[in-house]
Amino acid sequence: MMAQLQTVDPLSTTFSALADPTRRAILARLAAGEASVTELAEPFDMTLPAVSKHLKVLERAGLIARNREAQWRRCRLDPAPLRTASDWLEHYREFWEQRFDRLEAYLAELQQESKKATKKKGRRGARTK
Amino acid sequence: MLASSTANRDTFAVSTPSDQEIRLTRRFNAPRHLVFEAMTRPEHVARWWGCLAEGYSVPVCEIDLRVGGRWRFVNRHPKGEAAFHGEYLEIEPPGRLVFTEIFEDFPDSPSVVTTELLEEGAGTRLVVTAKYPSMAVRDIVIGTGMAKGAAISYDRLEDLVAELGRR
Repeated sequence: MMAQLQTVDPLSTTFSALADPTRRAILARLAAGEASVTELAEPFDMTLPAVSKHLKVLERAGLIARNREAQWRRCRLDPAPLRTASDWLEHYREFWEQRFDRLEAYLAELQQESKKATKKKGRRGARTK
Repeated sequence: MLASSTANRDTFAVSTPSDQEIRLTRRFNAPRHLVFEAMTRPEHVARWWGCLAEGYSVPVCEIDLRVGGRWRFVNRHPKGEAAFHGEYLEIEPPGRLVFTEIFEDFPDSPSVVTTELLEEGAGTRLVVTAKYPSMAVRDIVIGTGMAKGAAISYDRLEDLVAELGRR
């Protein structure tokens, strides 16, 4: 897993961070507002160091920022990388499957056109073939 | 034309041949050479690629169909524009086409797309294999609803992003 997080490709870093359900739950909680590590750990059956580990991964991916002054270092969400990831995904969601449907419709059109063209030629006589 | 676009919809399938790849396959009721032409001639590509509904168009469609030649397609959609470009690596009509693809908003995440066209009766079986820069990127692509029934699910991500969008 660490090898994936160290990749230089920023999208991969974002997606690796999002690949874990606990980390997604933490982000969802932070979407509602800032929280301390203790508050974030509450809903999970997890030790504070385990939660801190997840927070470090999120921080490295730029998904959260931590207040360095306050003693309890409240966490807040940085939605920028998520938006980037979401935009990137949008392309796939919208295109791949529909593209194939559209291609098939177009191929049918092409085949009909070429059939019509052949018929016209036929009427004019075999010579033009 | 609606009936024809869905005639082979059930033949659409997605698989993951390796950690970094996604394979999409679908049958088409047209001979291989025609499918190959539809994918490699700009006047054809502009008519189907990215023309998904009203409000969608392909204002730029450049193809230099030579090994080492470049391609660039721009898709105009209701929310803006998406531009893609790449380079042709292998061209073997009517059976095989390999090119790189870069979504210009995210130039650090290129993919290599291998297209194979196999004869299947009077029609064609299209097999498109896209190789992504890492397993993480590939997995997230799979999880977006593109691949029905894929084992890896990132269903929460969509909810999360929607939630963030409302902030």
